[in-house]
Amino acid sequence: MFADLIKLSFKELFVPENSDAFFFIMAPTTGLVIGAALVGLIPFAPGIQIANIEVGLPAFLAIITLSPSLVLLAGWSANSKFPFIGGLRALFQQTAYEIPLWLSALGVIMMAGTLNLAQIVAAQSTGWFIIPQALGAFIFLVTSVAEMERLPFDLPEAESEIMMGWQAEYTGVLFLAAQGPGFVKLYAFSALFTTIYLGGFLGPSFLPPLFWMLLKTLVIIVLIMLLRSTFPRVRLDQLLRAGWTTLLTLAIVNIGITYLLVVGLPTF
Amino acid sequence: MTDLLFLAFAAVTIGAAILAIEARDLVYGAAALGIAFLGVAGLFFLLDAAYVGWFQIAVYIGAVVVLILFTVMLVGPKMGETPLGLKRVSLLAAILVSLLLGMTGALANATAFPGQDSCGSGCDLYLLSTSLLKNYGVQLEFMSLVMAAAVIGALVLSKTDRGQ
Amino acid sequence: MEPLSSFFAVSVILLGIGIYGLTTKRNAIRILFSVELIYNAANLNIIAFARLRNPPIVTGQVLVLFTIALAAMEAAVGLSIIILISRLNAEIDLSKLSKLKG
Repeated sequence: MFADLIKLSFKELFVPENSDAFFFIMAPTTGLVIGAALVGLIPFAPGIQIANIEVGLPAFLAIITLSPSLVLLAGWSANSKFPFIGGLRALFQQTAYEIPLWLSALGVIMMAGTLNLAQIVAAQSTGWFIIPQALGAFIFLVTSVAEMERLPFDLPEAESEIMMGWQAEYTGVLFLAAQGPGFVKLYAFSALFTTIYLGGFLGPSFLPPLFWMLLKTLVIIVLIMLLRSTFPRVRLDQLLRAGWTTLLTLAIVNIGITYLLVVGLPTF
Repeated sequence: MTDLLFLAFAAVTIGAAILAIEARDLVYGAAALGIAFLGVAGLFFLLDAAYVGWFQIAVYIGAVVVLILFTVMLVGPKMGETPLGLKRVSLLAAILVSLLLGMTGALANATAFPGQDSCGSGCDLYLLSTSLLKNYGVQLEFMSLVMAAAVIGALVLSKTDRGQ
Repeated sequence: MEPLSSFFAVSVILLGIGIYGLTTKRNAIRILFSVELIYNAANLNIIAFARLRNPPIVTGQVLVLFTIALAAMEAAVGLSIIILISRLNAEIDLSKLSKLKG
């Protein structure tokens, strides 16, 4: 794999004529920067967190919302039909799935009572949030897979259909830059899922917390990768309909359930 | 340190704003507008308004800029503008701006705004949320109604008659 | 912390740029840019005043949360109108459209 990396870096940097060179180069590069920022917000262990900010969870989700516009710019800047259509489809898909993402995270916030990621982990010491938030965790998983443009939500990059969609014109080093954000988002989303639903770095103390965090994140990454081979590709209109109607309703139902759990049960 | 950050964010914001309205290509203008929003978000962070800053990023850059880009690509590129002969209007605009800027000088001596270094309860996240829900709960409900109206309005406006 | 006049100056400059764009540009989308800049100038002003007050209050942040949402909604509806106009007229030059002809 490293050989691939080095080989691709030395290939000629090819920017198609008639395309908008500035955005062509800038969009995927900014995507990498965004990915780096995402990983910096995750608490990997009680002391290891690059940016422990008070509003960690909204910060993560807000940075994710920057991704659709970058994809649109990347698709448009190549100035040819297939990448542009792919870019539009990716834009629709990622925008539609942002709202269920935020709402499912809201369930976690209601249970933890804080927006700080390190404190959300600490709040799970009495029980991982995935058990009361089973519906929310499911929605979060589905929407983050959709945000990452991975199979089975792969239509914007369908290799057999429209020639890799919005990434069709990217070769050489920029190919890395275009694929990179996808992988970084995979790690970042899996780490976030682990943090807010699986208790982050909590675990029996015979092994260091960092180990537990990485182990759980690895489980989620493998799970997401297995989804790729399990399900067929979802059609775009089915996808958008599912995002705007089904998942949104389920997310609101989840909020209702969480409200009952948080407020209702103690009063009974 | 905060001096340098403030100058940097302010320069980025103002520069990007000028770029946004002067750029010939609207897509560049939209991207410059996004950077201007980022600069304003940075100024929010400097003012200890972290939550509002992240929402500025999520809503403005994450949604409004996307909408603008999408519209620009649908409507088609308009290359440049022929200069208008609106000398009087731009003169009026310039006078208005200089009047407002002159007020800044007066404000510099205002003693009611000494500015504290520690924000205390003015920037507390918990206080923000309880104040939003308790003191401004009715307004929040109104906002949701307005949002519903806006969504319905946008949907109706962009509906095309596909013909049954 | 910078004195209030610095933040106010930035906000006023943004406002000035927005007003200049609003009055001298003909393209409807560019006018929308200017309007959004004016919104941002106002939001910055509100947050600065609320924070640099003695004592600071949180009401500024509450108000700005509302105005950010309102501005986004207004941009969405405005852009739908622009799309609709461009479908009907094939151009979005406001100085010609303001005659309300046709």
